Amino acid sequence: MDKRYKVQVKDLHKSYGSNEVLQGIDLNVAPSEVVCMIGPSGSGKSTFLRCLNRLEVPNGGHVYVDGYDIADPKVNINKVRENIGMVFQHFNLFPNMSVLDNITLAPVQLGKATKAEAEEEALRYLDLVGLKEKANVNPQTLSGGQKQRVAIARALAMKPDVMLFDEPTSALDPEMVGDVLGVMKQLAKQGMTMIVVTHEMGFAKQVADRVVFFHDGKIREQGTPEEIFDHPQHPDTRNFLDKVLNV
Amino acid sequence: MRRISWKKIFASWLAALAIAVGWLLVEPQSVSAAEPTYTIATNNTFEPFEIQDSKGGYSGKNPGIEIEMLREIAKHEHFKYKLKPMSFNGDLQALEGGQVDAVMAGMSVTDERKQKFDFSVPYYTDGVEMAVAKDSNIKSLKQLKGKTVSAKSGTSAALFLKKNQKKYGYKVKYFDSSNTMWNDVKIGNTAATFDDGPVLEYGIKTGVPLKVVTKKPIDAQPVAIGFQKGKNLAMQKKINDGIRWMKKTGRMQKIIDKYTKGNKTAKSATADRTILGLLRANREALLRGLWMTVELTVVGIICAMIFGLILGVLGITQNKFAQAVSSVIIYIFRGLPMIVLAFFIYMGVPNVIGHKVPLFVAGVITLMLDEGAYIGAIVKGGFEAVDPGQWEAARSLGLPYHKALTKVIAPQGLKIMVPSLVNQFIMTLKDTSILSAIGVMELTETGTVIISQNMEGFKMWLIIGTIYIIIITLLTWLSNYIQKRMA
Ligand SMILES: Nc1ncnc2c1ncn2[C@@H]1O[C@H](COP(=O)(O)OP(=O)(O)OP(=O)(O)O)[C@@H](O)[C@H]1O
Ligand SMILES: [Mg+2]
Repeated sequence: MDKRYKVQVKDLHKSYGSNEVLQGIDLNVAPSEVVCMIGPSGSGKSTFLRCLNRLEVPNGGHVYVDGYDIADPKVNINKVRENIGMVFQHFNLFPNMSVLDNITLAPVQLGKATKAEAEEEALRYLDLVGLKEKANVNPQTLSGGQKQRVAIARALAMKPDVMLFDEPTSALDPEMVGDVLGVMKQLAKQGMTMIVVTHEMGFAKQVADRVVFFHDGKIREQGTPEEIFDHPQHPDTRNFLDKVLNV
Repeated sequence: MRRISWKKIFASWLAALAIAVGWLLVEPQSVSAAEPTYTIATNNTFEPFEIQDSKGGYSGKNPGIEIEMLREIAKHEHFKYKLKPMSFNGDLQALEGGQVDAVMAGMSVTDERKQKFDFSVPYYTDGVEMAVAKDSNIKSLKQLKGKTVSAKSGTSAALFLKKNQKKYGYKVKYFDSSNTMWNDVKIGNTAATFDDGPVLEYGIKTGVPLKVVTKKPIDAQPVAIGFQKGKNLAMQKKINDGIRWMKKTGRMQKIIDKYTKGNKTAKSATADRTILGLLRANREALLRGLWMTVELTVVGIICAMIFGLILGVLGITQNKFAQAVSSVIIYIFRGLPMIVLAFFIYMGVPNVIGHKVPLFVAGVITLMLDEGAYIGAIVKGGFEAVDPGQWEAARSLGLPYHKALTKVIAPQGLKIMVPSLVNQFIMTLKDTSILSAIGVMELTETGTVIISQNMEGFKMWLIIGTIYIIIITLLTWLSNYIQKRMA
């Protein structure tokens, strides 16, 4: 394990029955780096991301986050997860509590802050994502873009070192996408380490330090946005970009 | 993930169960050294042997031949007794199971019963008699060819009818209680009925419009108190001495005459037989029964809810063993008819633990296991119906399994299951009536007892049914109100 990296993945394997979805992935992510992952549907992007915080249990290999091997059964996975924020395609806000309580639940329950401190913090994060006035509403009354921004605020409230995003804008109406991407750009600028699965090539070009192309459970090609988008080396990459950029 | 120790939770649950069972074992039995107390099973009402008053007790002026006899014997022989009124079948099972020390229920001494039980000195002779409607001209068995006759199933009258069916060529219809059977003769469905002589004569004396046509009882048999075979010989001796003393001093005959001759015990024919009148006359008994039903329902639902939550939570863990335990328990107790479960707990379990299970406790445990299994399935289904994304979001924030469950999943799951739970609560209320089988004096059993005294089956069941509908309506309103508040 190398101390220079926030996230280090070594020879990661994951199968569902006989379907080997991840076939040996190696990836290092430096602090403050923004990595965007692109690739065709079913290539294993979500599965990879979910292996990073053990929502899926890997079948082989190692995942080090902040120096802990999450595959090690002696590691307290709850402690590691506190440092990894995750944002889902379908937001997964808790409908049984207000926006504010969604954000304060984890910090309060895990003893990170008192209720009052957590609420003050939560309002700061809501302000950051531009939704301060929605603190006391039920999340079910929000639009998709607002929900996703609350979800980001909820993840940030645990003050994570790394943020994982799994297609955060795919379930949104086009006019909402900009708001969410705007918040993510801001986070990147502030130095957050981010791994983002996305179909938003514009965002990847503009924000990513590195773009990783997934294909059939393997990393086919990776590099700077210019390298991947302007000078793709692998025919699979070219093929994929042709399809997504020329629709 | 979900690395909480489910074995630990399961172990603590087992411990709680063990404590509950232990409490049953040490539940105190008041035994006074000077005056022993005997537990004696008897009938709710089996006129003229046992006649319950409107409160379900025997403290009235005419409690029945056997009750009056026992009262005098106990005083003379210096012992105390506790009566357990049940159905006759329940009496026999309780004696076999050791729930009671003796059965005093107008029990005929038959060869078959003698093999299982010891009997006291007989104090009465009981035989089958035949009765027909008042205006019928049937006078003998020979006139019954092709006609329908009736008897209570399992009685000596039923045995007699079966034995002689070929000879006289009648059809036999079986009943469970005398009053419905007699009513069937009254309205002309059956031509004649065969019943215990004293029961029949007492009924006629108090207003049942039938007449006895047999000259003397058929198959006369002695009536005596039954004991557990070869056990408690001191008690057997006291009771036998008492009966001999009663007979010798003429006290026994005096009691028998009181109930079978003259008009001393006749019920007033002028009693108000309208529904309002019946309500007024039985107000106290009905309220007592209703209260018992409500008490059983509330305590039963609370226990079943706790049990069901445990089953549901075990059912959704990722621990295969816990899941299997939950599924098997749900499968068994949903599959078992509740009446079998009630008999098993009240009559069967005491054989194993060597200790009586109090009636109310047996009722609550039955409800807890049976309704709890259904609630367990509802809880499991409700939790599983919550979007798995909710688990993932909660766990990825670092919340441990139990916090994710209690703060995020359970509140949403409970909301999903509220309609099914309300339905199950209503079922629980209705199912308490099944506990009448083991003699719990709830609303239904109260109704049975009242009807055995006043023969007003139609009106009384109408009253009882209406009471159930009213409390179910109240419960439904309450739950609708709560659901609205929750939404
Ligand atoms: N729980 C599961 N059980 C079985 N197979 C699964 C499971 N989750 C994912 N898969 C399979 O793993 C493969 C990779 O899925 P994954 O969701 O990682 O793809 P993806 O790259 O995220 O695709 P998309 O862009 O459509 O989200 C697919 O073939 C999928 O069918
Ligand atoms: Mg995906």
